[in-house]
Amino acid sequence: MFSHIFLYKLKSIVRDRNLMFWTLMFPILLSVLFWMAFSNLTKGEAFRDIKIAVINDAAYKENANFDKALSYVSADNKDRLFNVTYTTMDSAKKLLKDGQIEGYIYFNNGLNLTVKNSGINESIIKEFLDYYVQTSSTASTIITENPSAIYGSLAKDLTQKVQYLKEVPAGNANPDTVVAYFYTLIAMTCLYGSFWGQKEVSDIQANQSYVGARVNVAPTHKLKVFSISMLAAITVQLIEIFALLLFLIFVLKINFGSQIGYIVLTCFVGTLTGVTFGALISAIVTKKEGIKIAIIIGGSMIMSFLSGMMYAGIKTIISRNLPALSYINPANLIADSFYSLYYYSGHEHYFINTLLLCAFTLLFSFLTYIILRRQKYASI
Amino acid sequence: MQVFKVFFRIIKKNLGELSVYMIIFLVLAVLLSSINTGSQYNEFAQTKSKIAFINNDKTSALTDGLRDYLNENAIIADIKNDERTLQDALFYRDIEYIVKVPSGFSDKFYNGEKAEIEITKVPDSISGVYMDNMVEKYLNTARIYINNMKNISGEKLTQYIQKDLSKTANVNLSAADAVQTKKYLYYYNYAAYSLSAILILGVCIVMFVFNKLDIKRRNLCSPLKNSSINMQLILGNLTLSLGAWLIIVITSIIIYRKDMFTISGGLFILNLLVFTIAMLSISFLISNIVKSRPATSAAANVVALGSSFIGGVFVPQYLLGAKVLTIASFTPTYWYVKSNNIISSLAVYNAQTLKPVFTNMLIVFAFAVAVLAITLVVMKQRKTVS
Repeated sequence: MFSHIFLYKLKSIVRDRNLMFWTLMFPILLSVLFWMAFSNLTKGEAFRDIKIAVINDAAYKENANFDKALSYVSADNKDRLFNVTYTTMDSAKKLLKDGQIEGYIYFNNGLNLTVKNSGINESIIKEFLDYYVQTSSTASTIITENPSAIYGSLAKDLTQKVQYLKEVPAGNANPDTVVAYFYTLIAMTCLYGSFWGQKEVSDIQANQSYVGARVNVAPTHKLKVFSISMLAAITVQLIEIFALLLFLIFVLKINFGSQIGYIVLTCFVGTLTGVTFGALISAIVTKKEGIKIAIIIGGSMIMSFLSGMMYAGIKTIISRNLPALSYINPANLIADSFYSLYYYSGHEHYFINTLLLCAFTLLFSFLTYIILRRQKYASI
Repeated sequence: MQVFKVFFRIIKKNLGELSVYMIIFLVLAVLLSSINTGSQYNEFAQTKSKIAFINNDKTSALTDGLRDYLNENAIIADIKNDERTLQDALFYRDIEYIVKVPSGFSDKFYNGEKAEIEITKVPDSISGVYMDNMVEKYLNTARIYINNMKNISGEKLTQYIQKDLSKTANVNLSAADAVQTKKYLYYYNYAAYSLSAILILGVCIVMFVFNKLDIKRRNLCSPLKNSSINMQLILGNLTLSLGAWLIIVITSIIIYRKDMFTISGGLFILNLLVFTIAMLSISFLISNIVKSRPATSAAANVVALGSSFIGGVFVPQYLLGAKVLTIASFTPTYWYVKSNNIISSLAVYNAQTLKPVFTNMLIVFAFAVAVLAITLVVMKQRKTVS
């Protein structure tokens, strides 16, 4: 009996092309989009020439060193940082007003920079000027204290920059930030298991589907049919998740580090949470299928957004302002399980997240059971 | 106006599904406006971030000086030097950056050998870049002094470095032209996603009913003129699009109030209107291609999310690769977001500054016309086939 129901459930699930799209093709499509959108993030952006103006007056001409430094970074080659216009104060003001330049530099009691807003480009200009001011201060102190340094290595030391930092990852995996986005994607796919849970509940409710009506008049115990169908749903969803994982690892070449076993375990628990979540939604909402699906899509989108799928910084914001929210959001729990593998050498946090997911799964299953049990239909 | 009425009866029946996209968007919009995510990228005066400073080396003037310098520019958290505690703190973002001076660092540094400070940071954070810069600057300045002033005392070294690094260029924010990145930039950028999803879904749902073969045959033999049916359908589609546009605009006025009644606010609203027309045209094309009802929500999500991701709605355009942007330039979303970004950075509005904005709007409008032309060809083709 078991194998009969199980096998036919599998068939009916795999033949549901619509849901197969959502649970398999959609995550794969999304992963390709992520790959396109985020692949540039870690490579570091190429510098664009930042357009600036310099007020070419008497005060500027006194600072030959600055002119030298500036022409060094604005030389027309591929490392060019600035595109400089030498002009007068009035025309620089006009250029800035019209948005032709990002800011203008002038000497008046030291170096001055005028900008009209604060952004990345403005920060780069300021950083350059600060560096110049600080290095010249260093140079002049050394020359006053030890004039003979000019004949030594001073000039070389001033222009050379030594790398003193070594980044050490907090945990085992290499710190590749893009991977975090794919974690949230896997979390979303786990939650999309809800589609199958939703379908299985509809399929045993006589007022929701013809199949449901037929199942209700069959002599088989409803709980038995339901458990076996859920098992079939979980099987299919697991296969889909692993297909996604394989796609990520072998086609998009995402590096998930060495802890693949734990990642698989999280996928497994996450799938259970997802499928039971869908079952619960389907049991609570007694409206048409379209609305159930819309709630599932909308719900998992919001949960995924809150776990950092569209914007990674949201995680920091939530853990600062609303820490409780990160513990009741299943998408975040799944993504956090991955994160904790990435951060920690031990597995304590990983298991806290996983246990919370299990607790959610049990809660969802229990509530679904309470709602569905002893449902009778006087007339449909 | 029977057809027009039926149009909205169908919409009303599917309102639940359509409103989900509006609700997602509104939840995101309210969240975004309350936390203002833009500030991360746009801060001139860096906020002090919380860091941990761990010295495994002997106490030396160099490390003490570094500690003091960092303490001025960041908040050094009082935290136990224990791997677990540090990992926890970083995981929950209690601290964002860890500086660890390994033992023997000072000696190596003084002797000019290769010396490295270990740092650990929250991935992807702007504060991490600032902190890197600070530590590098301090150590490089120290190196210059040590190389060029033999036997400099530790006290003098830290004093000189502090003096040098406290010097900065003066920055004036030209008050007359000052522009803040408009708060509603993110709202309007995100609007592209939900508007695309709603329009594709709404138009497809209705057109799918009217394109059903039996219903189409029935309508063709009704006394209503075919042109009249089409006119009413076009009117219905336009009303639906303008309605969605209006909801987004009104919500933005509720959230941002008088900020919306400015020139830039007006330009944002106009830009969204042009984008709405282009999206309507694309939705109309999709409604003529998609074959089944469930496929409509698939198409709606793929097109809406796809164009939003590569067009710069979720990930800012300046972070996207050149190749991706080239592909994205074949979607109106890219041009819409591009104009939004330009409008947001404008201080003065004249022919010269507004030219790129209107050029982009024209491109988006050209999309609308071109896609409509393709749709008409597809429809004609189909008519001759059946």
